[in-house]
Amino acid sequence: MPSRSGTRRKASRRAILKSALAGIATLAAPPVLGQAKAHVIVIGGGFAGATCARRLKAADGTIAVTLVEPNARFTACPFSNAVIAGLRPIEAQYFGYDGVKQAGVDIAGQIVVAIEAEARQVHFADGARLDYQRLVLAPGIDIRFDALPGYDQTAAEIMPHAWKAGAQTLLLRRQLEAMADGGVVVLSAPANPFRCPPGPYERASLIAYYLKTKKPRSKLILLDAKDTFSKQRLFEAAWKTLYPGLIEWVPLSGGGRVIEIDAKTRTLVTEFGSHLADVANVIPPQRAGAVAIAAGVADQTGWCPIDPHTFESKLVPNIHVIGDAAIAGAMPKSAFAANAQAKVCADMIASLIRGEDPREVKLINTCYSLVAPDYGISVAGVYAPRDGLLTEIKEAGGVSPLEAPAAQREAEATYAQAWFQTITREVFG
Amino acid sequence: MTRPWSYRGISHGMIVVALLAVPIQAAAQPSSAAACSGCHAPVNDGPVPGLIGRPAGEIVTAMAAFRAGERTATVMDRIAKGYSDEEINAIAQWYAAQGQPAGNP
Amino acid sequence: MTRALINTPKQAQQGEVIEIRAMIAHVMETGHRRDAQGAAVPRNIIHRFQCLYDDVEIFAADFYPAMAANPFIAFSTVATTSGVLTFAWTDDQGTIQRATAEITVV
Repeated sequence: MPSRSGTRRKASRRAILKSALAGIATLAAPPVLGQAKAHVIVIGGGFAGATCARRLKAADGTIAVTLVEPNARFTACPFSNAVIAGLRPIEAQYFGYDGVKQAGVDIAGQIVVAIEAEARQVHFADGARLDYQRLVLAPGIDIRFDALPGYDQTAAEIMPHAWKAGAQTLLLRRQLEAMADGGVVVLSAPANPFRCPPGPYERASLIAYYLKTKKPRSKLILLDAKDTFSKQRLFEAAWKTLYPGLIEWVPLSGGGRVIEIDAKTRTLVTEFGSHLADVANVIPPQRAGAVAIAAGVADQTGWCPIDPHTFESKLVPNIHVIGDAAIAGAMPKSAFAANAQAKVCADMIASLIRGEDPREVKLINTCYSLVAPDYGISVAGVYAPRDGLLTEIKEAGGVSPLEAPAAQREAEATYAQAWFQTITREVFG
Repeated sequence: MTRPWSYRGISHGMIVVALLAVPIQAAAQPSSAAACSGCHAPVNDGPVPGLIGRPAGEIVTAMAAFRAGERTATVMDRIAKGYSDEEINAIAQWYAAQGQPAGNP
Repeated sequence: MTRALINTPKQAQQGEVIEIRAMIAHVMETGHRRDAQGAAVPRNIIHRFQCLYDDVEIFAADFYPAMAANPFIAFSTVATTSGVLTFAWTDDQGTIQRATAEITVV
C-alpha cells in the first residue's frame, strides 16, 4: 500500500549519522545568485503538501521549494467510496506530479528517515541530507495497527480498512464483487478524531447502493464507536428513503464499539457481542503519519498541535504541520480543509521569510458526501483563529437542509464532482 | 449539465457602486480568498461559476444576497455568513483584478 | 423503556474470575444546562447501579453528574454457582431498568 508519509520509522539515528560521516553527498543546492535563497521542504504529496508546495512558489518565486514524496503517483481518497461501489474506475483517483514540477517545485522521490530539527535538516534513506529554513509536514494519517487487538497489516489483507486509497480500495471492491447475494457486509467506524468524518457513512451509503442494485438480499451492519456522526440526520433520513431495511447502524450506546478483530473467522467483536461478516471493512483508529511522530511534532494524542495562524508546530519551531495530521481545532480532516490550510500556511511562510507579520485569515471547509450517485449532501464551515485554536464562526456553516427537493440533492451530487475536478486540477494539474 | 445558478443569471443591474470605493491593486491574493478556489475553478467550464475577472460588484452583491438568504444556494449561503463586508470586498476586488476568465467569451 | 445491554459468560468454571459488562442508553442530564429559552434543564441521571448474583449484591455504584451519557460499567466477579445475574439502573425520575442473565457454572 502506498504510504503518503514516506518515513521508515525503524532507521536509527546512528545509522544516519554513520552514512553522513561516510561522506555521502548532500543533494546539490540550487544555484544561488546574490543573497542566499530561502529553502522550504514540504514532506508528503497529498492534497495538503502538493498544494502548499505550489502555493509557496506562487507566493514568492525566489523561494526554493522541494516536495518530498516517494510515490510517483498519488491516489486520492475523496470519491474512492464510489470506486468501492463500482461507480468509478480507480484510474480516476490517480494523479501525477508533473503539474507540481512545472510550477517550479523540485520533486524528491525520497524516503525520509529522520528530521534534525535543530540543524534544520532532513535525512533521506539513501544517505542524502537537505537543509531547510522552514519545513512543512503533510504526512496525512497512518493506521494505528496497535490500537485494535487482532487488527494488524495481515488482518487488513483479509478485512481491508480502505482508509488510504489504492490497493486497499480495490481489495474491498473485489470482495464486494465476489460476495454472494444475501451476504452480510460489516463496517466499523472509529471514535473521533479520524480522517474524513462523514466518510464511513458515505461508504455505507454507496455500498448499500451497490447491494440494492446488484445483490438486493444482502445486508449492511455499521458498527460505530460513536453515538453521533457527521451529517447524521441527513444520512439517516436518506437511508430510510433509499435503502429501507438494508443498513443497520449500531451506535456506541447500542454496543457498536469494536474491541477485537478475528481475521481468521472474519469476526468483529464488540463489547456486547460479535458479528460474523462475509465482507468486513474495519476503519480503525488513526494518528498522524509516521514522519510527524519521528519529527517530534505529534503529542500524546498522536496528532500535531499547531499555531492556528501559521500552522507552525507548537512543539518544534520552524516545522509546520497541515492537513489530516494537524490538530486544526474545529476543522475536520478533509481534502478541502487540507487544501485551504496549505494555501494559508504557504502564504504565512512566505510572509515569515520576508520578515512580515502574518495576516489575519479565514478558512473554509466544504465537504460533500454521496448517498447515491445522484444524491449529494454537504457540510460547510468557516474558520478563524481564536484563543489559539481554529474555531468555527458561529453565524456561518452547517449542513444541507433536511427537507430539500430532489433537484437540490442532485445539484449537490453534481457540485461534489465539480469540486473534485477543480481541486485536483488546482493541486496536480 | 445544468447550471442552476449561472454566471449570467446574476450579472445585470446589480452592481453596488458604493462598495467599490477601494482602488483595485495588483496585490497578492487575500489569504481569506484562498479557500474559494477549492470549488471555483479558474476555467469557467463547470457547474460552479468561475470568479476570476468577474466584476467586483457582482461578487459583492451575490455574497450579500447569499448572506441574507435571498438567493438560492447549496453551500454559499452557509459560507457567506462567515465573511464581513470588508473581507468580501477585498476578495471581490482581487478577483476582479485578475483579468478575463479563461473559457469565457 | 430504554435500552440496556449486558455481556456475561454463559458458562464458567467454578472459582473462575469472570468479566461482566453493562451499558444503558440514558441521557445523564446533569442539571447544569439551560434550554433554548434559558430555563434550567432538570437533573436526570442514573444515580445507582446494582448487580445481584442470585439475589446477593455483588457490585453497586453511585453515579454523579460528571458521568457521560450512556454509562458503561465493566467489573469482575468470581463464578460460584449456576444462577441468575440481575442488573438494575435507577434514575432521578425513579425509573428502574432491569436486565438479567443466566450463568452455568461447571
